[in-house]
Amino acid sequence: MAESKISPYSLTDLKNTTDDALANYLRGLHFHQDNTKLDVRLAIGYASVIIAAATFAADYKLGWEATKGWTAVAVVAYALLNGALTYWTWAVEKGCVFDGAKDGRKISIASKTNKHEPTYYLTVTDSGSGSTASTRQIQAPFTAWFTADGFFVAKPFQQWLATSVEAIGDADTKNASRDERDELAAPGPEVERIAQSNGSVEASGTESKGKSGKRSKKRG
Amino acid sequence: MFGSLATLQPRQLAAQVLNFALVLSTAFMLWKGLSVFTDSSSPIVVVLSGSMEPAFQRGDLLFLWNRGQETQVGEVVVYNVRGKDIPIVHRVIRRFGGGSAPLQLLTKGDNNAADDTELYARGQSYLDRSQDVIGSVVGYVPFVGYVTILLSEYPWLKTAMLVFMALTVVLQRE
Repeated sequence: MAESKISPYSLTDLKNTTDDALANYLRGLHFHQDNTKLDVRLAIGYASVIIAAATFAADYKLGWEATKGWTAVAVVAYALLNGALTYWTWAVEKGCVFDGAKDGRKISIASKTNKHEPTYYLTVTDSGSGSTASTRQIQAPFTAWFTADGFFVAKPFQQWLATSVEAIGDADTKNASRDERDELAAPGPEVERIAQSNGSVEASGTESKGKSGKRSKKRG
Repeated sequence: MFGSLATLQPRQLAAQVLNFALVLSTAFMLWKGLSVFTDSSSPIVVVLSGSMEPAFQRGDLLFLWNRGQETQVGEVVVYNVRGKDIPIVHRVIRRFGGGSAPLQLLTKGDNNAADDTELYARGQSYLDRSQDVIGSVVGYVPFVGYVTILLSEYPWLKTAMLVFMALTVVLQRE
């Protein structure tokens, strides 16, 4: 994909470019994207446009007097559909930029920015394998992956995502830097299994004991 | 300029086109909604001539209401001459019928010397309230309608405006 320059001062440009990059990155990691929310929005939207177009055609061909009644019906239907569309965009979609699943693990990501604040906020809902869905908020300044000129750099963005979100880190272990997470809490057996998929098996207990020993040294 | 469009997925492109389509269709449906509410085929008209001066000037925007069927002498009505699509804004100076009989009106522009008998279609000497009249004037905004006069006298302006609007909405991702 050709790198194009955006204005690093425009919050909407920053957010849109990052949203697109996020979706592309996850699709590249073979997350299967679920387009249902967008499809419903397109369906409601185009249905109302078709009603408007039909009203226009009828009025053009048959004139005002003949189509008065149907026009009234069409106006009401259009208002209802647009109300539904507004509700859908505001309440259901709510900033969603990626809905997808990989290996049975569902992930749903919504992004947000605050006016005049160059920070990217993400709300990640992870269904986790087996466990119930958990929702987390993560954030990072746009300066982490945009140059001062306005060029998007993929590497730090992917590293941030892979480190902050379990599901993405599992799919992209090269970018996931798990040291900080492992210091705070011992890695669970699932992650151990992935990390050691090509190595010899070690007792999980010894691994974490060694790391907590290191922790006191680093914090000192 | 179109580079930003090229990187979009097909669904996202459809969403951008939908935004523009919604702008057009909402504007149209608002107009039709107003038509239904006022029961008039053209609830907002622009004064095209100076025949109602000093009351109305060329370029004034008039708001019409068509639900009052008992039009009185002195009311300003907008009507179409049978066979033509040009709305004429004149004052009612005589009425015949009304009540159970169909209401017939004679009109004259304030600034004209003669009444509108010359303007009506051949063989027509009065207006039929229910057939010819689009509505009576209930309010107006001065001068704002001049844009419409420009758009109808220079039709390429309409196309230019539409193309400009389309580009702005489709390429923007606010």
